[in-house]
Amino acid sequence: SSGINAEYGREAFNMQRSLDKGQLMDGLRHATEMLNELRTSILPPKNYYELYMMVTMELTHLNMYMSAEFIKENKIADLYELVQHAGNILPRLYLLITVGVVYIRSEECSRKDILQDLVEMCRGVQHPLRGLFLRNFLLTSTRDVLPDDETQASDGGTIEDSINFILLNFSEMNKLWVRMQHQGHSRDRTKREQERLELKLLVGTNLERLSRLEGVTVDKYEKQILPAVLKQLVNCKDSIAQEYLMDCIIQVFPDEFHLRTLENTFLDTCCHPQSQVNVRNIIISIIGRLSNFAQADPANIPDDIKLFDIFSVKVTQIIQSRSDMPPEDILALQSALIKLALNVYPSETGYVNQVLQDTLSIFQKEESRAKGCSGELSKLLRVPVDHYQDILVVLQLDAYPKLFSFLELGTRRDLCVYIAEHVIETDTLIYSHEQVDMLWSMLECLVAGGPDDTTVDPEDFECEQALVGRLVHQMTSTVPDQQFLILSTCKKHLTAGGDRRIQYTLPSLIFRAIHLCRVYHELREEDEKWEKKVTKILQYINSLLSSLVKAEFWDLSLRLYLQAALVCDTMGISNAETVGYEFMSQAFAIYEEEVSDSKAQLIAISLIVATFEQTRNFSEENHEPLRSQCFRAGSKLLKKPDQCRAVGLCSHLYWSGRNREGEGEPLRNSTKVLECLKKAVRISNQCMEPTVQVQLFVELLNKYVYFLCNGCEEVSESVLSQLIGKIQEDMPGLESGEITRQIVKHFESTLGFVTHRQLLST
Amino acid sequence: MGKQWYQRRVRVVRGDFDLNSNLPEQKVVTVGQFKIGLIHGHQIVPWGDHDAIAAVCRQLDVDVMVSGHTHKLEAYQQDNKFYINPGSVTGAYSPIERNPVPAFILMDIQASTLVIYVYSLPPEGEMEVKKIEFKKGEKGE
Repeated sequence: SSGINAEYGREAFNMQRSLDKGQLMDGLRHATEMLNELRTSILPPKNYYELYMMVTMELTHLNMYMSAEFIKENKIADLYELVQHAGNILPRLYLLITVGVVYIRSEECSRKDILQDLVEMCRGVQHPLRGLFLRNFLLTSTRDVLPDDETQASDGGTIEDSINFILLNFSEMNKLWVRMQHQGHSRDRTKREQERLELKLLVGTNLERLSRLEGVTVDKYEKQILPAVLKQLVNCKDSIAQEYLMDCIIQVFPDEFHLRTLENTFLDTCCHPQSQVNVRNIIISIIGRLSNFAQADPANIPDDIKLFDIFSVKVTQIIQSRSDMPPEDILALQSALIKLALNVYPSETGYVNQVLQDTLSIFQKEESRAKGCSGELSKLLRVPVDHYQDILVVLQLDAYPKLFSFLELGTRRDLCVYIAEHVIETDTLIYSHEQVDMLWSMLECLVAGGPDDTTVDPEDFECEQALVGRLVHQMTSTVPDQQFLILSTCKKHLTAGGDRRIQYTLPSLIFRAIHLCRVYHELREEDEKWEKKVTKILQYINSLLSSLVKAEFWDLSLRLYLQAALVCDTMGISNAETVGYEFMSQAFAIYEEEVSDSKAQLIAISLIVATFEQTRNFSEENHEPLRSQCFRAGSKLLKKPDQCRAVGLCSHLYWSGRNREGEGEPLRNSTKVLECLKKAVRISNQCMEPTVQVQLFVELLNKYVYFLCNGCEEVSESVLSQLIGKIQEDMPGLESGEITRQIVKHFESTLGFVTHRQLLST
Repeated sequence: MGKQWYQRRVRVVRGDFDLNSNLPEQKVVTVGQFKIGLIHGHQIVPWGDHDAIAAVCRQLDVDVMVSGHTHKLEAYQQDNKFYINPGSVTGAYSPIERNPVPAFILMDIQASTLVIYVYSLPPEGEMEVKKIEFKKGEKGE
């Protein structure tokens, strides 16, 4: 091609030189030679385009020369005649166009006639590539001279003529463009199609030029332009042309035009059975455009144009008529519809539901259409969640959860996790039991599980279930009775989760129920039925705890029984006391029968004692056996040090513990306190390890100090001194080491405290 | 920010609902001139009792005793030791504290001075910040 460039370059130079000398005929001859280069058949489109650009740029010099010279001398008509005698048709036409434009500008002729002439004569070049560029030259050259008025100007030509001019140019160009598809060998088809795409702008520019005519009204567009363009599209039966030009129409013409022609003309053609066009992209494109138009200003859409209805009907038709449409296309269309509904008609949740319902119908009618669409469907289902930012609105869409069954299990779980996280992150509160019921049903695969349960990674499973547990806290009503209904609904769904799940999910429910008891208690003056309701809640708690016990979650249920016992205690009613006692018994039962590890036993009995110490409403009839039980359990621990510490803890039960009879006053049973502590000391004496012994003595000394400070008479100064003496006696005999050092320090701090508080008079 | 990053910066002690865990019952952390004791607090009988907590403070031989479990926000001095209970950051249910106020505490230690900033969110109110200072070895109010 460097050879060609050299040729044209030389001729261009010569042309310019001739023109400079005022030798027009020579100039024209050189121009013709230069234009001959465009007759080549060997250049691919990209290269032809480069050559074309260079050549046509040179022609502007010719144009300027002629404009200057011949307008002076009024000889344009002659020139126009003259150039028609050039040898080959291609250079002839380029020159004719060049001169024609000058002629039109001179206003010596009928503009309409010249333009008509030019557009018709271009038919003479039927070679696709050359013809396309020639006609492009025609279009760009006449850019500023097309008439744009309704009324005829003195030199002829109205907007009608321009429209016809461009439409003719367009349809001829399209024919040439389509012809390229069928040239050459079938094995080169891909390459040809690629080349065609490189040239698409040439054809599209016609439409763009049309859109720039100021005189093109929406009526002209509707009645004249669009029908003509669409007819060309349909008749050419070429998918590349149809697809590109449909999109071009959407892009270049204003939204008002589209609105006017949407229902009857545009969409009908789109969905024409002969139409090969990738309907999905076109529809999504036009929906997107009109969506933006509507959002920019709702007044843009006339009241009688129901955008959503129009598109909804059309999309359904399209999907039904194309049974081979892949699921991702179906869902892409539905997605576009949903976004239209959400963005343009935000208050119409019914529209969103309709899209979902239509999708559901399609899949239900023909299950194979949904195959492989999990990812896309999941994306679609996230759209309303993200848009509304309020799961309560999503719950109103009755078709929404029904689509879940078309998701693969893994994708379904992910979606449920997404929804659960979303509710928590937005802190959305679900305040009615009906909504709670719907939400749990929707998240069924998370809550109740499915066939893939065993394949889920254990850590993921734990995270998911923790999420479910957290979700419980979002389900809350400020109306206590409603809250109870919510809790009942939660129970129904969560207990269906089976043993693997309830350890993560029931604790939330139990604590919510415990909290609800408190709420009823606080409102007891206003609700005469409060005692019955609290009883019912306690039964509810008991049933949940039984489930945990049955599933053998010992440590968890023991602790929850203790928490439940505490709330029973604060109710102050006899029903609650009975239940509270039962809960304490259950805790003990678990402790005795199921906690076997000695470390766990000490921890458990300590917790039981600590919890029991907090209660204040057990009648002595119940309080006494529980005290004894604590003491007995503590003194039966396997290891002596554990026994010592547990028994030491029990001392508090007799001091600050309370029963109903005391009416809030602590027991203050000094005798029993001392008895406990002395027992603990005796147990320490039975420890074989001297270091351990002394350590325990120091701890017990601190207990003595505590009670002495708090006015426990039996814990006297002499008792204190005695123990101090014992420690001082044994301490020097201890093996040196870190533990001994700590024990010594502990003892010294304790003595320091004793001195500081003046607990000993000596 | 992997596990090791957290292990270097976060100190955890066992709570009453930490099941099957190998977390320690208590911990002593030294920061500057202060020895700080950490315990969840459910182990201390009676729960929240100042004298009982003081006994643990003596046992651990620390200047500052941090405990919790009661969800009751407290910061006080007793016998030259400083006691902190940061309450519950979420205001979560507690069997012994009705309607806990959501709160947390930031602690700043410079040489022998310890300053805490107590952030709390009372109901129907704006977040409040209170500053309390503790000097080691000094008697407080």
